Amino acid sequence: MRRLTTLARVLLVDWLRNREAVFFALIFPLLLLVIFSSVFAGGPTEFGLGVQNNDVDADGEPTALSEAFVTTLEDAPPLGVGQIDPDTSLSKEDSIEEVTGYNRVLVIPDGFDQRVRAASARVRMEIIEDSIDQFGGEIPQQQRQEIENALGGFEETGTDSGSVGIVLLTVPDDEGAGAVESILESVVARFNDRSVGIEEPPVVVSAKQRGAANFGAADYFLPAFIVAMILINGVMTVPSAVAEFKRDGTLKRLAASPLRKSEWILANVVQQSILAVAITGVMILVAWVLFGVTAVPGPFALGLILLGAVAFTSLGMTVGGIVQDPGSAISLGGAIALPLMFVSGIFWELDLMPPTLQTVAELSPVTHFHRSLRQLLIVDSTSGVAPTAALLAILSVLFTFGAVLTTSWQDF
Amino acid sequence: MASGSRDPVVQTRNLRKEYGSVVAVDDVSLDIAPEEIFGLLGPNGAGKTTIVEMLQGLRTPTGGDATVLGLDLQENLYEIKDRIGVVPQSFHTFDRMTVRENVSLIRNLHSGGLAVDEVLGELALTEYADTPFHALSGGYQRRTGIAMALVSDPEILFLDEPTTGLDPAARRSTWEQIAGLPGMGTTVVLTTHDMEEVEYLADRVALLVDGQVEAIDTVAGLIDTYAGEVKIVVHLTEASTNTDVDTLESTLQAATERTYRSESDELVGVFADRQRAQDTYSDLHETGTGHSIDLVSPGMEDVFLELSGKTLTPGGELR
Repeated sequence: MRRLTTLARVLLVDWLRNREAVFFALIFPLLLLVIFSSVFAGGPTEFGLGVQNNDVDADGEPTALSEAFVTTLEDAPPLGVGQIDPDTSLSKEDSIEEVTGYNRVLVIPDGFDQRVRAASARVRMEIIEDSIDQFGGEIPQQQRQEIENALGGFEETGTDSGSVGIVLLTVPDDEGAGAVESILESVVARFNDRSVGIEEPPVVVSAKQRGAANFGAADYFLPAFIVAMILINGVMTVPSAVAEFKRDGTLKRLAASPLRKSEWILANVVQQSILAVAITGVMILVAWVLFGVTAVPGPFALGLILLGAVAFTSLGMTVGGIVQDPGSAISLGGAIALPLMFVSGIFWELDLMPPTLQTVAELSPVTHFHRSLRQLLIVDSTSGVAPTAALLAILSVLFTFGAVLTTSWQDF
Repeated sequence: MASGSRDPVVQTRNLRKEYGSVVAVDDVSLDIAPEEIFGLLGPNGAGKTTIVEMLQGLRTPTGGDATVLGLDLQENLYEIKDRIGVVPQSFHTFDRMTVRENVSLIRNLHSGGLAVDEVLGELALTEYADTPFHALSGGYQRRTGIAMALVSDPEILFLDEPTTGLDPAARRSTWEQIAGLPGMGTTVVLTTHDMEEVEYLADRVALLVDGQVEAIDTVAGLIDTYAGEVKIVVHLTEASTNTDVDTLESTLQAATERTYRSESDELVGVFADRQRAQDTYSDLHETGTGHSIDLVSPGMEDVFLELSGKTLTPGGELR
């Protein structure tokens, strides 16, 4: 035990004095955490939108409904709406960005008010006609005649107009065009409902969080980067360090002492487990100071972090036993760690990936490790954590066995 | 410390190591006595390092038997490792750790040992105790390796090419440290291709060529057996007169039948008896011709030349 603790301490101190290792294992994930959290926690995103309202009266004032439509647009939070003079030319030859200052412009056509009213009346009229057809037998004859006369009056005033077209002009490289189009569709749908008299739509969607409230982007990225740090340290840094010790003769010197191979492997695992917990603490501290993160790992989360550190460090020791030089160790470790990291929903949601990749992701232990750590840190639930812990424990045993097989303690 | 018994502390019988079809160590049998400095001398690739690494448990023998400190190498590997000290040929340790931390590490990996600061003091490393290993010169790195090997108070110390790459002062200083070890009860197994190192340090030497032991004896014994002849060399010059040359030549020929004139214009006399050579050396000086005269004693280089038919370069290559 003394040999194990002595070596683990030496490995830890040696690691802490290694600037490259500290940068890649601690500073780099911290930088990513800060960048990602800042980017995605910087308040709601606003899409600029220029609106050219061509539906004006003789005095140049906007008509009632076109003005109401613009007000509805202005009330949509993601849109930053600005008015563009109706006299501004938006011909094909012009660059709308140069002419208007906006890279996307919504054009409301002349006659918008009149055609919306007509379309609205037509819809209402159709509803009444349908109602009469369906319930006509129950309405007294005289009353029904009066209704039909009135409807006839509407038809004479021209209620059969088509839809009103509004046009969204965008520049070719506008990456937000799709998002703005979706927002406009939703605004138009609500405007249409109101124009035909539906003030309270029968189906509405509302979003609610379960579990502890008030989590920001940093809280969501924290478990992701803890998992990334453990994965990179275990599968890339550890084999590289082991290969370097093998190359420069340090490992041979240790093997000439009474130190056992098993103690060498365990000392590395212990060192990385201590580092994993310590770096997690530093990441949480930084996230708390900069972003007010409140996710504090409990015993289950700490246990899962330790299991992850053991599993991936022993995988790293297995890789380190195979390769002979640090360059090969980085390459092989990277070939294992990077695909696992990118396919496991650390940087983006699994739902955004194609179904085939989602299936692959489900086979990755990193996916389950990340998902369970999120569950523990954010949702404060242990649901699904036990199978993940069991998976990591099994992998720890398998990879430790692999490390024993691949690590040479003789015939270097 | 030493076991107290005079039984060999290292014993090998027909020790063998093969790498595929290459035989690196070919049936080597050795007995190394307690508290001696035993040299394994040979060119690069002769199998010296392979032999000591098998004795350290770092290589598995292909055949033969070996005991270290009376313990079977296969069955008591970790007990043996606990009782020996090792300075490998390409020694390296944790770069970013200080001298004291590295020495402490090895001290704590062994079951017993000496006080770290005491060992650092003995090897004049106290000044560098808090210096990271990577910041040391080659000589001090090598000295740190010796401190790491000695801190466990080993009964046998294996030194593989301990002074390779050191400047003359560091080399001499390291030799002095090693020479003092048997007095403290430590047996030293020294692997080297440096003739001068062997002559200075080793009590007994095994001369290895192509994985085989060609001879084992004390340095003096090897020289007596294989290169025991003393030479007198008279350096002639353009100013040497025929009279002078005749005088010198007749003095030499009166003392020994084996005289010749070398290609570099030297008069050489070969003597089996060292005393007779010394007397003749005095007689030659008394002739008063004023020539430069050398009395050349044989060394391990002559032994090596006699046994292998080749000379050994300073870099350890055969020529």
